[in-house]
Amino acid sequence: MAQPITSPGSQRKRGRSERSRRGLVALLAISASFGFAGLPQAAGPKLLPAEEAFRLSARALDPGTLEIRYDVADGYYLYRDKLRFAVEPAIAEGVDPQLPAGKVHEDEFFGKTTIYRGPAVIRLPLKGGKPGDKVVLTADSQGCADAGVCYPPQRQTLTVVLPAAGGGAGVPVEAAPRRKSYFN
Amino acid sequence: MIHLSNRWWMVVAALLALGAGAWFAWSKLESSEAIGQPATSLLGLSLPDPDGKELALSQWKGKVLVVNFWATWCAPCREEMPMFTRLQQELGPKGVQFVGIAVDQPDKVRQFASDLGLNYPALIGGYGAMELSKSLGNSIMALPFTVIVDRGGRVAHTQLGPLKEQQLSDIFAKLL
Repeated sequence: MAQPITSPGSQRKRGRSERSRRGLVALLAISASFGFAGLPQAAGPKLLPAEEAFRLSARALDPGTLEIRYDVADGYYLYRDKLRFAVEPAIAEGVDPQLPAGKVHEDEFFGKTTIYRGPAVIRLPLKGGKPGDKVVLTADSQGCADAGVCYPPQRQTLTVVLPAAGGGAGVPVEAAPRRKSYFN
Repeated sequence: MIHLSNRWWMVVAALLALGAGAWFAWSKLESSEAIGQPATSLLGLSLPDPDGKELALSQWKGKVLVVNFWATWCAPCREEMPMFTRLQQELGPKGVQFVGIAVDQPDKVRQFASDLGLNYPALIGGYGAMELSKSLGNSIMALPFTVIVDRGGRVAHTQLGPLKEQQLSDIFAKLL
């Protein structure tokens, strides 16, 4: 924003506006602290909501391949066998996802399971996808935190536009922050 | 586009922030189930057991009520349940009542309760149960989440993640 040209007497004016600005900053800080104190918080570890612990994004590498990526935050893990992917419309029918190997996780109740920590990159071949097609990806996942909590299965959707063949990969699309969960 | 000076933008931002702050403060008053507040929404709940029989939580008013939100797919939940079963056995006669609210399928809950020899009710809660737990302090909606209600029907403790036996003993020592 353009600053006004300094004129005689503006020095005093600036002093006043500086004070009022400081006052407003204090007001902002107080308002913000209201917000943080607002929600009841249970005892226990400080944890991330699922959509931040397991950040989903996807991009089209070419008209025939979606690259799906979970960025799993430190101290969290996703179960490999709980991942499910579907694409719509049917013209871009998803074929079997190529899941990375993951790590073996020994669990007292579930025995040996395979989990993902850090980034997990999955390739989903598409059948019949054409450049410019909009593909809606639905991704189901479930994970836990090492601190001793698990998140309900969550379903996220995002829309990817397929690029032209030989035109290079598309821009990654992040899942919307608001997630849908499903139970029962 | 109306041109506003820097200072006016600051005023607008401050007013917006104040509004947001007031809204949060108000929403805190709305979700009254913080510690020490009456557990009205929880005690007003009626949920089915795995066989479809509705049970009202109000029947345990006057007891120290431990409401545990859990699921069979949640390993840390399963881990603490044998302890809950033992404490129900030991402290039930002294006025402690455990109740499980499972975010899960009835047949899985029935099987697990039978395998474990669960001696307290396992009710079936859906997404509504998770939303309720959020209003009680489960801001990230994860499991296990436990709410302890005192004999007077007030929230005495909320816990995200597993409870330790010592912690429970200390809480019960105050409430019984």
